Amino acid sequence: MNRSNKTVIGTFLTPAVVLLMAFMILPFVMAFVLSFTNSRLIPGPRGTQYIGLTNYQKLVEDNMFWRGLKHNFYFVIIVVPIQTSLALLLAILVNQKLKFSKFFRTFYFIPTVTAMVAVAVVWSFLYHPNGLINSFLTFITGGVWGGVDFLNTTRWAFPAIMAMSIWQGVGFQMLIFLAGLQDIPSSYYEAADIDGANSWEKFKYITLPQLKNTTTFVVISTTILAFRLFTQILVMTNGGPQGSTYTVMLHIYKMAYQRLNIGYGSALTVVFFIIILIISLLQRYLLGEQREVA
Amino acid sequence: MFDFRTRRKFILYTIMTILFIIFFFPLLYMISTSLTPNEDLILQNMSTIRAFFPSEIGLKNFSDVFQRMPFGRFLFNSLFIVSTTILLGLVVNSMMAFGLARFNFKGRNLIISTVLALMIIPFEAIAVPLLLITNRLGWLDSYQVQIIPFIANPFYIFLLYQFFINFPKELEEAAIIDGANWYQIYYKVAMPLSKPVLASVAILHFLMQWRRFLWPLMVTRGPSYRPLTVAMQVFFGEYPRLWGDIMAYVAMMTLPVVILFVILQDRYVSTVARSGIK
Amino acid sequence: MKKLLTISIVLLLTFVMAGSVVAQTEIEVWFHSGRGSEREVIRDQAQRFSEMDNGITVNLVKLPEGSYTQQVQSAAAAGDLPDVLDLDGPTIANYAWSGFLKPLGEFVPEEMEEDFLPSILEQGYYKGNLYALGTFDSGLAFWGNKEYLEEVNARIPEGVEDAWTFQEFMDITKRLQELSEVEYALDMKLNYGVNEHYTYEFSPFLQAFGGDLINRETMVAEGTINGPEANAFASWFQSLFERGYADPNPPGDTQFIEGKTALAWVGHWTFNQHKNALGDDAILIPAPKFMGGKQATGMGSWAWSMPSSTEHPEAAWEFMKFILQPEEIIKMTNANGAVPARESAIEMSELYKEGGELNLFVEQLQKIAVPRPVTPAYPTITSAFQTAMDNIINGADVSQELNDAAETIDEEIEYMGIEQGE
Repeated sequence: MNRSNKTVIGTFLTPAVVLLMAFMILPFVMAFVLSFTNSRLIPGPRGTQYIGLTNYQKLVEDNMFWRGLKHNFYFVIIVVPIQTSLALLLAILVNQKLKFSKFFRTFYFIPTVTAMVAVAVVWSFLYHPNGLINSFLTFITGGVWGGVDFLNTTRWAFPAIMAMSIWQGVGFQMLIFLAGLQDIPSSYYEAADIDGANSWEKFKYITLPQLKNTTTFVVISTTILAFRLFTQILVMTNGGPQGSTYTVMLHIYKMAYQRLNIGYGSALTVVFFIIILIISLLQRYLLGEQREVA
Repeated sequence: MFDFRTRRKFILYTIMTILFIIFFFPLLYMISTSLTPNEDLILQNMSTIRAFFPSEIGLKNFSDVFQRMPFGRFLFNSLFIVSTTILLGLVVNSMMAFGLARFNFKGRNLIISTVLALMIIPFEAIAVPLLLITNRLGWLDSYQVQIIPFIANPFYIFLLYQFFINFPKELEEAAIIDGANWYQIYYKVAMPLSKPVLASVAILHFLMQWRRFLWPLMVTRGPSYRPLTVAMQVFFGEYPRLWGDIMAYVAMMTLPVVILFVILQDRYVSTVARSGIK
Repeated sequence: MKKLLTISIVLLLTFVMAGSVVAQTEIEVWFHSGRGSEREVIRDQAQRFSEMDNGITVNLVKLPEGSYTQQVQSAAAAGDLPDVLDLDGPTIANYAWSGFLKPLGEFVPEEMEEDFLPSILEQGYYKGNLYALGTFDSGLAFWGNKEYLEEVNARIPEGVEDAWTFQEFMDITKRLQELSEVEYALDMKLNYGVNEHYTYEFSPFLQAFGGDLINRETMVAEGTINGPEANAFASWFQSLFERGYADPNPPGDTQFIEGKTALAWVGHWTFNQHKNALGDDAILIPAPKFMGGKQATGMGSWAWSMPSSTEHPEAAWEFMKFILQPEEIIKMTNANGAVPARESAIEMSELYKEGGELNLFVEQLQKIAVPRPVTPAYPTITSAFQTAMDNIINGADVSQELNDAAETIDEEIEYMGIEQGE
């Protein structure tokens, strides 16, 4: 069995490698170079100049960047575990051989496919002080709930965004878990049935171990996507109230596309990239996945 | 008195229905708003339960959308860009993943780590250099500028790699004995066996491309190659915003994705049935 | 020999004649596609212009308004601009600074320039050169609910000169708030979201307090946007929300027409909405005289300009000249309701001419309108101001927010290397 035929390997890898080089690696290297310049989207009369480490010095003193980063961590620590476990539960639920499970599965997925701009707008109405969520909470608590202006209070704005993000994103992970679940041979469960295992034991000893690689992927990808938190913030709070929902991506966006400061935006990107890279490697190491050819 | 099976079913259905309400509720809001022809009524009802039961119903918002823009053209553009990217992406990404998962070679770990690292790069970060590159290639305002840069995707390479690496060796060895070469193993053994994961990659890729906004905004000019996301900006310039039109537009934009999902779902179900037989 | 000469002459003539047929110049024109009526007018104008016997055809490209500025910026970065395009007022300076725009001085005759509203010229001039001319301007004032105002015995000003004083304004606000039908006396249209409208609508109050966004001579923010006048303005503005005079989170756009608010500080574009709902009860009230009798209102809108990269400047100007004729201006402003950019066009407008229902907007533009700072650093100035105002409305510490804004702006100006006067 020849697992090192160079021509064969080359054929399999080349198309993707070429595309990744041209449209991801090269632009990223260019961004790295730009981070040492004062490049602007619309350059000034004196053009683009090399300014050494100025952008990185600016970054160290940039309070908004650090505040955004803190919020990103906060978001990741809360949202990733909740969203991942919820996605697994949903996947197991809709994987039951029940009538209509296909129907339910479709609807759990719909929020994911709806344009974020529209979803964020709808939720802004739901979160309004006189909106439906407040009305509902007042109703079920028998009037104890006083009504909260969710998106305009520093205490509630970020949790409100988190809840909405989980709602919107969980269908994505559910889908990946579902593919993983359906990949587990049913003979394993049949054997367990013969041994008299109960549902919990089957979950613990078959489902979870079999989903190890899927879980690794879901956790890493959810973490990465959580760090990219952006559109809903832009539409719902624009980082406010008083910066309580400010994130790094929003900061990068504002610097690069509103202030047109590409050089500084690139420096922010490079640093942010390195931070997430370290976290992802750490996660991968901790979750320990299969690396060698089986 | 329920027996165990009925009670279990009852509980499951109850949970699924509650979740259904939570997941569908905001979208119902979107639909009912899109069906409210009177813009003042929408604004008045916006934050109240009445938004779900508009006193007037009509398709005016939908006809408005068609009147304001060549919606069909933009829909075609989006569908064409997205489907081409997915088809090419499925081939290119699965080949790369297969190569990484089934072969031993020097630099393999380096490539895997690079792919992982590339997953992290947010698109916004490389958009400007990419604009300069594609401009140099003379691709601005075209279909290819919206397709080619997005074919290879580290997320999907990584996801497919995770699946391919789980394949038992015996499957390949049996195929080799039957006289198959590696390309045939990839095409006739690996691909058919990974239909569920390919279906999810297709859906995820669809979503990512379907929502893409910043890039087409930067590289398209006139309406010829403009996708739905950019065309939607017509509604977001002036105040007050016409929420009825916006919601009608979004509803029409969401529908194709739901249809695709329903179609691809059948793939899953057939896989479940088959693994039951195995 | 003679034969050869004849042939060459015939050939030459053929070329010349063929040339004159072919020499149809095509110019590309970009514009932001707003509401339907506005789109129809420009399409009709482009068509009529192309049909004229002047050898120029127009290829009109509509770009969606919500993302227009970003699309133009990307095109500029890629060196891919058209022959003529419309730009949003506050962005013009940046393009001019970068050398992307052609000065219009050589094209615009003096008597034509004098016919434009001063506000249009202030917006179009950068470093002594005219770069853009708009077909219309915007107007900002208080819309009042006459019924409520009469109920509290408020004096209704006639024009800019006899506008309310600060004391009078606060007094009327207080009395309006006491009316049982009125939920909030003032409507600041915060439902528009935290964006350019914050700067457009609230910086005039700052200027009426004697402050400004930036010192327009030295182009330094420190000491101006966080100066004592600015602090006084911001504390006052914050108190409007604290005292319940204005809603920090309005549920929709209909508070004023439903009679829940009594004075709405908003632009000309609400004219139809207000008239349809309130009829003669919707009246226009000039910007009040604040500290030391200072008055200010907003101005600025979309304006036409010519990228320096154009290969057909003459043809491009022909088109601009065509759409800037008073008769064409009036077609556009009748469609979108904005203030016509030229005095001669204003005279032709039912709404805006002397004695017209909206003439107050013209009077304000002539007397008390303040342009947003014309500097390439404007994007930073406006975003810093927006953030500060948003936080201040939500109860943040006033002086700290303004100090932060000043620091952000001055840092950016230094980083950009903008020299004084640029």
